[in-house]
Amino acid sequence: MPLEFKTSEALTFGVELELMVLNTRDYNLARGAPDLLARLAKAQLPSEVKPEITESMIEVNSTVHRRFSELRDELVRTRDGIVEAAGRLNLAVSGGGSHPFHQWSDRRIFPTERFLKVSALYGYLAKQFTVFGQHIHIGVESGDDAVYLTHRMARYIPHFIALSASSPFYQGEDTSFETSRLHAVSAFPLAGHLPEVASWDEFNRYFDEMAGYGIVASMKDFYWDIRPKPEYGTMEIRIGDTPLTVQGAAELAAYAQTLAADLLRERRTDPIAPHYLVYGYNRFQACRFGFEAMLADPGAHTHIRLREDLMATLLRLQRIGEELGTTDALRAIGERADRELNDSRWLRERFMETRNLSDVVRLQAERWRDDPPRAPAQAEAARLRAAK
Amino acid sequence: MDLRFLPQLPLTLSYPLLFGVLLVAGMLGGEAARALRLPRVVGYVLVGFAIAPIASAINIGPLLDEARIFVDIGLGLVLFDLGRRMDIAWLKRDWTLAASGIAESLLTFALVFAALSWLDVAPLAAGIAAAIAMATSPAVVLLIAQDTRSEGQVTERALTLVALNSLLASVVVTMLTASVHYEVRLDLDTAVLHPLYLFAGSLALGGLTARVARLLARQLERSPELHFTLLAGLILAAVGIAQAVKLSVILALLAFGMFARNDRNRHDLVNVDLGRASRLFYIVLFVITGASLPLSSFETAGWAALAFIGARAAGKFLGVVAIAPLGGMRWRQSVALGAALLPMSALALLLLHDVTRLHPAFGGEIAAIVIAGVIVMEIAGPLATQWALRFAGEAAPPPDPLAATRPPVARPVEPPRPAEPPKPAETKDA
Repeated sequence: MPLEFKTSEALTFGVELELMVLNTRDYNLARGAPDLLARLAKAQLPSEVKPEITESMIEVNSTVHRRFSELRDELVRTRDGIVEAAGRLNLAVSGGGSHPFHQWSDRRIFPTERFLKVSALYGYLAKQFTVFGQHIHIGVESGDDAVYLTHRMARYIPHFIALSASSPFYQGEDTSFETSRLHAVSAFPLAGHLPEVASWDEFNRYFDEMAGYGIVASMKDFYWDIRPKPEYGTMEIRIGDTPLTVQGAAELAAYAQTLAADLLRERRTDPIAPHYLVYGYNRFQACRFGFEAMLADPGAHTHIRLREDLMATLLRLQRIGEELGTTDALRAIGERADRELNDSRWLRERFMETRNLSDVVRLQAERWRDDPPRAPAQAEAARLRAAK
Repeated sequence: MDLRFLPQLPLTLSYPLLFGVLLVAGMLGGEAARALRLPRVVGYVLVGFAIAPIASAINIGPLLDEARIFVDIGLGLVLFDLGRRMDIAWLKRDWTLAASGIAESLLTFALVFAALSWLDVAPLAAGIAAAIAMATSPAVVLLIAQDTRSEGQVTERALTLVALNSLLASVVVTMLTASVHYEVRLDLDTAVLHPLYLFAGSLALGGLTARVARLLARQLERSPELHFTLLAGLILAAVGIAQAVKLSVILALLAFGMFARNDRNRHDLVNVDLGRASRLFYIVLFVITGASLPLSSFETAGWAALAFIGARAAGKFLGVVAIAPLGGMRWRQSVALGAALLPMSALALLLLHDVTRLHPAFGGEIAAIVIAGVIVMEIAGPLATQWALRFAGEAAPPPDPLAATRPPVARPVEPPRPAEPPKPAETKDA
């Protein structure tokens, strides 16, 4: 039975954000997701909040948007709601790609049927998978467009890695990587990228074959960095760490949206194979060195510094950004790259100041809570409540 | 030949020997209990029960009494740790938490007081027993949460409620000592000044120690090891000072912990885990506590002991179950939270000790009741707490290494089919 691709409006977009649930004593991960979710079920949040593989994670799913500013406002309001509910349970919530010092063996699988199955199959990998990523969905009109966009976006994956990197510490140590989270993903047997299929029909034949071997049952079983998502009618980018602020998350989504618009207009036809030949190497470079990564450029047969490649891309996207209303987001991203200020850098600086990873996570949670400040409506409502 | 290099008989027993023996014996008892799926704490206490007659037979009973210093250090560590759990910011954010703490404490006091009065216990004695009944054993709850690797709202709230009721109990007992003084016809000045000295002095000592800790901490690197050493040293010192200046070890150390935690967002002190080191003292604390409980108290106290235990359990349980659901706790969590607060142990004994040592003659009547209650709750309390944390789903599931080697259930190969007709419910074989 072929997978049916649900059409959606081109270039609409939304995000999923996986978040840490922390205690407020030493800011280790806490087993707080069940209680937090129960409480949030009664709150009126604009986005949906769901469980993830272990009980120290929650996942925010935004609604579908056309404009960057709408997405950001929704995320701010959702964040405020989550922060308030967590506060009543004496929990904190934060962004960041991995927890810097938790022990994976302390984690507990969230007992849903799917997660228990994943845990039974993958053993310790399931608990190790307590890492926190941002998924960006871009709406496309057809499965063919989704396949095209998935392939063409592969070239830009290093940009998303460098811009979102926020997991320099792992198991109590500095990994020297800008993001250490991706190693937890690479361990899965079905990690990697979409095979070189040219259309949705061709993809369906591949899927049927894999399903016929009994290896996969749905798209969820592919742990690819970018994948078509037929149920939503989107192309999904899954490479990024969860940024330290919702602002950062919305900006990255805006960058993806603008880039997708550009790629859909240009309809590139150069062969895709060379991009996948250098894919793994470039991905590693970006994980390790961030903006300083030296990327292999298969077209030009040279290496180019990631920052320069990113800046050139931003320049190219300027006009289309104005059409989509993403100019502010693109400018912020450009500044971040120019000043080498990604979230990993921020975390390392906090560690230099405090010399203590608990403090780093505390500051990380405070930044998540306060930057950008509370949504005006929410602040107003809080004032009214206080006045009563 | 001069044989004076050989030891003289009878041998002198020393604290290090006593500590070592109690520690190892307690640990073995704990592991035996665990093999029977009981909480370790029960094993520690039972070793104490067993040691008491042996100790008096070989005449080291007095030494055991002198070993109070270990009890004080153990309790000092517990109370500091507990004080650190008292997060004022949380109590402000969720009023139902403070409310359920106050409700269960007051209801416990009221019910125990009523029950004992009904059994013709004198009002003041009934009041003191009721005040002591408010306190939950912090060491038991902390140790069981640790041993079951329990984590979640019930665990967190239980520890906060324990901190609250320990604080309330020691404040009320301190205030009631005023009446005790008056009862035995001391002058009014003493009756007022002594509790005031205890109360204000202990708080000041706790606050001062916390201040010193923060001052020193700011000069140190923020490594957990250094902060652990700093805190351990200051806890011992604070216990010593409290004893030397006749203040309340309980209040002083609780206050130290509270001030160390709630420092208006300065975060000078790293929240170090006292874990393994403090367990050494906890074990000895429980063994000595067990050894110091005369089983004869039951005969002396009679029905009053049962009334004390029943009224206390009802008060804690109903107080929590009435308020906790208002804060969004599910019924299962509320029930577990109520049950988790039942243990009674060394803290109750120390509170009792603080009262009775003032006027030994006065203490006899309530001592038997409280001690009988402690004996029962030393065993029943840990069981209740362990059950509660499991019932709430917060205790870590016991490791099952074989489960990991079993292959997972076969994965569905086909995409999900349209809904199948529901299967008939499985019938159990007779």
